[in-house]
Amino acid sequence: MNLRFLALRLSVIAIITLLGVQLVRMQLVSPVPAPPLATGDQPRILLSDASRGLIYDRNGTPLVTNVPSYVLRIVPAALPADQTDRQIALVTIERESGVPVATLEAATRQPLALIDPTAPIEVGTLPDVTEAIRLRAVLAAIPGVEITATPQRMYLGGELVAHFIGHVGAIDATDVETYLKNGYPLNATVGRSGLELVFEEPLRGEPTRRLVVADPSGRVLSDLSELASRPGADIELSIDMDLQRVTADALNAAIEAGLPDEVPGRAPPTRVAAAVAIDVRTGEVLAQVSLPSFDPNVLNDGDRPALEALLRDPTRPLVDRTYMEAHPPGSTFKTLVAYAALEEDVATPETKVTSTGAIYIQDEFDPSVTYVFRDWAAHGTTDLYWGLARSSDVYFYYLSGGYRSGGVTYFEGLGATRLADYAQQIGLGTPTGLELPGETGGLVPSPDWKEQAVGDAWFLGDTYTFGIGQGYLTVSPMQMAILVSAIANDGSVLQPRLVRGIRESDELVETPRIVAAQLSNEGDSLAVIREAMRITAGPGGTAWRGQPKGLTIGGKTGTAEFGSPYPDGEFDTHGWYIGFAPFEDPEIAVAVYVEHGIGSTHAGPVARTMFEEYFNLSETAP
Amino acid sequence: MTVLRGVTLGAQPWLRRPDRVIGDPLLLLAAVLIGGVGLLSLQGATRIEDGGLSDDVARQSAFLAVGGVVILVMRRVDYRLLKLAWFPVLTLWIGMLALVLVAGATEFGARRWFLVGNYSLQPSEFARIATVIAIAAVASSRDATPRGFVFLLLGFLIPAGLILIEPDLGSTLALAAAWLALMVAWPLSLRGLWAIAATAVAFVPLAFALAVPGYQRERLAVFLDPQRDPLGSGFVLRQVEVALGSGGVTGRGLEFGVSALEGLSTRNSDFALAQVGEQMGLLGTLTVLVAFAIIAWRGLAIAESAPDRFGQLLAVGLTALLVVQALLHVAVNIRLFPATGIPLPLISLGGSSMIATAAMIGLLLSIAARRQADPLERWTAARWD
Repeated sequence: MNLRFLALRLSVIAIITLLGVQLVRMQLVSPVPAPPLATGDQPRILLSDASRGLIYDRNGTPLVTNVPSYVLRIVPAALPADQTDRQIALVTIERESGVPVATLEAATRQPLALIDPTAPIEVGTLPDVTEAIRLRAVLAAIPGVEITATPQRMYLGGELVAHFIGHVGAIDATDVETYLKNGYPLNATVGRSGLELVFEEPLRGEPTRRLVVADPSGRVLSDLSELASRPGADIELSIDMDLQRVTADALNAAIEAGLPDEVPGRAPPTRVAAAVAIDVRTGEVLAQVSLPSFDPNVLNDGDRPALEALLRDPTRPLVDRTYMEAHPPGSTFKTLVAYAALEEDVATPETKVTSTGAIYIQDEFDPSVTYVFRDWAAHGTTDLYWGLARSSDVYFYYLSGGYRSGGVTYFEGLGATRLADYAQQIGLGTPTGLELPGETGGLVPSPDWKEQAVGDAWFLGDTYTFGIGQGYLTVSPMQMAILVSAIANDGSVLQPRLVRGIRESDELVETPRIVAAQLSNEGDSLAVIREAMRITAGPGGTAWRGQPKGLTIGGKTGTAEFGSPYPDGEFDTHGWYIGFAPFEDPEIAVAVYVEHGIGSTHAGPVARTMFEEYFNLSETAP
Repeated sequence: MTVLRGVTLGAQPWLRRPDRVIGDPLLLLAAVLIGGVGLLSLQGATRIEDGGLSDDVARQSAFLAVGGVVILVMRRVDYRLLKLAWFPVLTLWIGMLALVLVAGATEFGARRWFLVGNYSLQPSEFARIATVIAIAAVASSRDATPRGFVFLLLGFLIPAGLILIEPDLGSTLALAAAWLALMVAWPLSLRGLWAIAATAVAFVPLAFALAVPGYQRERLAVFLDPQRDPLGSGFVLRQVEVALGSGGVTGRGLEFGVSALEGLSTRNSDFALAQVGEQMGLLGTLTVLVAFAIIAWRGLAIAESAPDRFGQLLAVGLTALLVVQALLHVAVNIRLFPATGIPLPLISLGGSSMIATAAMIGLLLSIAARRQADPLERWTAARWD
């Protein structure tokens, strides 16, 4: 027994002795050559970025790629020391590369060169690889000249996708600490806006780590080892570039057609429009166009005059109108009012209202005062289907605010609070959750809100204007596209997503479908709304211009007044069009916004063009 | 006297306060010393600008505190209760091991952890203790016969197999060493021990071909020839050597410029000893090594003077488990063993390892508190009591 314990003890002693001896050997007798600390030399990790991930559309068309950019650099300390030789060298560089001697001299005297003369300083960029090779050959004899290739982002999608792709650049002063904490070097190139910013982490990958011994000035003395990089992941968008292009062309035409004449003394009208197309089954964004746009390569190149012109442009091209700005939706909002009225049993599809062209409301306290709320036409008596199809304002005054006269209630409306609840349920008033920075939530007004924000009581007239999508209510085109999707897909309020998935070493990790909210659908009221929208887009409806040949859709127009009135009492108007198709089994929802225009005349044709492109109707139609 | 599964009731008032408050002061002292060195090292490695405590230090301090409580509780509980409970305890942890393979979180390509909120639980740490308890319980009530041996072999192979396929080679090896130590102390016949040795030698090539995953083979190859993969695993080994070398005899101090381990995600866990060596030099590493030697010495002493066979075998198994794991970690860090991720008990960052180690120390103290007096104790009693 004791013998066994002795054996155990002896084994432990033997192993511990062995380990102790090896420790003494590694730390005392023959330590691995460590950097000589006495001179201040230090081991350092040098990072060099992995190749940044690319971005593709849903069909594999590259939208962003990396191209090498060739740079001429000089190392001041390595230039010839003798003044004459040095002059000859600089003149030779000037003759071959076109960079003036003065620039070269200035580069050798800049602060960085004085602190660390061994650090290479960029003095010029070269147009292409042939020039880089030629220069490398002819300048090979001159010490202190470097020609290196650094990767640069090239935005192949150009203006068409400039808003959401974003750009890359140097780290912003306010974010320095965060990036340093995450292991970025100070001179790193990082995503600055759009998807480049949001998906910085997967796009970047893992940089190469080189362990070196460096002296205090940072000069590399010897390489110890290197850890290979992991290239950045590619991003696959849900955007269809063909649809994107066709949509942009149609929007441009709509802007031209809808633009009012310039009136002296009024600010010139802005050439602005936006459109969104969404897959109603998944929430994938198929097209997202905001006009005016810009050349994203301008942000990248550091072309200062072009950049300043962009920032000063009064139409603010950098703002993405699809999700960063909100405007009153006009009559497109009536789809939601009708749905809310059906859900709350305020109306049935058969509810009939007569529009004589206006509604007259007596002041409750002073019967001699009568307020007039106009309709855009006298529609006669309509049911809910034709109330929506003709876009009867009076019909929706009834549904939203009801009708009382002489102390008698003729029609009980939804009221502003209930209507606001439904608007919020379908996602208005809050950002949709699109994976881009700076999304607006728009505004859903309510009596409480008005009291606090405006400092005034909520009147019946506020409810009426709310009920026809005007007044305080503002929404973004993205929110309207989600609203239509929810009507089309039986009530799933989806979170839109631009990124279908992230591709890492040939494996696509798909972004999940997210249902932000599920609408109630008692008695299939959403089917009633779809049917009403089908009639609206049919013959005799206001939205017929969105209907392509050979396809049945549901649609709704909107024309919202804004700004100050013209001398004749008319206003400028925003034109809206929302729709879904095919009617029988919806796949796609669109929302079109034209800053100056009429819903039917100007926004409608854009929607039709988008449907035609998506369903490939343009070639087959007679 | 009532006899229940070989344990004498009545004569053993289990929850009676043991004769000694601290069963083995020297063992506890060594453990506290190691924990202190670990916390100092971690504080130096994760220092932050404004001088406050880093998250890692805060977490590790919390784990140390919980570990202290676990020690205090375990030393008070009579270890003999475990002899009755070994079966449900082992079943529970084998179940957890199976569950972690199905539902565990994957990290660095291994399924070893359950994620519970902000914390992760590594069942293999506790399953190994449960296995040692089970082997000690069964071995203490059986003679060393071939039949009994087969039973004990199965009791070892099932949990060990489950841990090996996570994969967690380091933990499996420590458990195998504890089992071997238990077989030696049981005492299995010399013939039996030779048979184990022969089987092990015969099985190494076969196991290597069948069970060792590609990455382990690559690690082994790199271990034998670091130049083979200077960009991958060789990078880490090289850095560990530089760290130990630059520490020298007295170390570079707790806080110094840039560590050679900078950027290694496992510097506070799998390479904790190298970090201690860089900061505190040979003095630091030898202190840790000697402290574990003390734990080994005291653990075996507790075994020899244990009041019953179960206590004796349990002490041998727990001591072997704890010490072999520490020695394996050291061996990996000083390039005497292929790189396998194995934490250094009481030093490496991690809650499961800390609490499991504390439980082992607590159990050893519980056995010690009930043993017959030995010469050392008579010597210490005069000074501490």
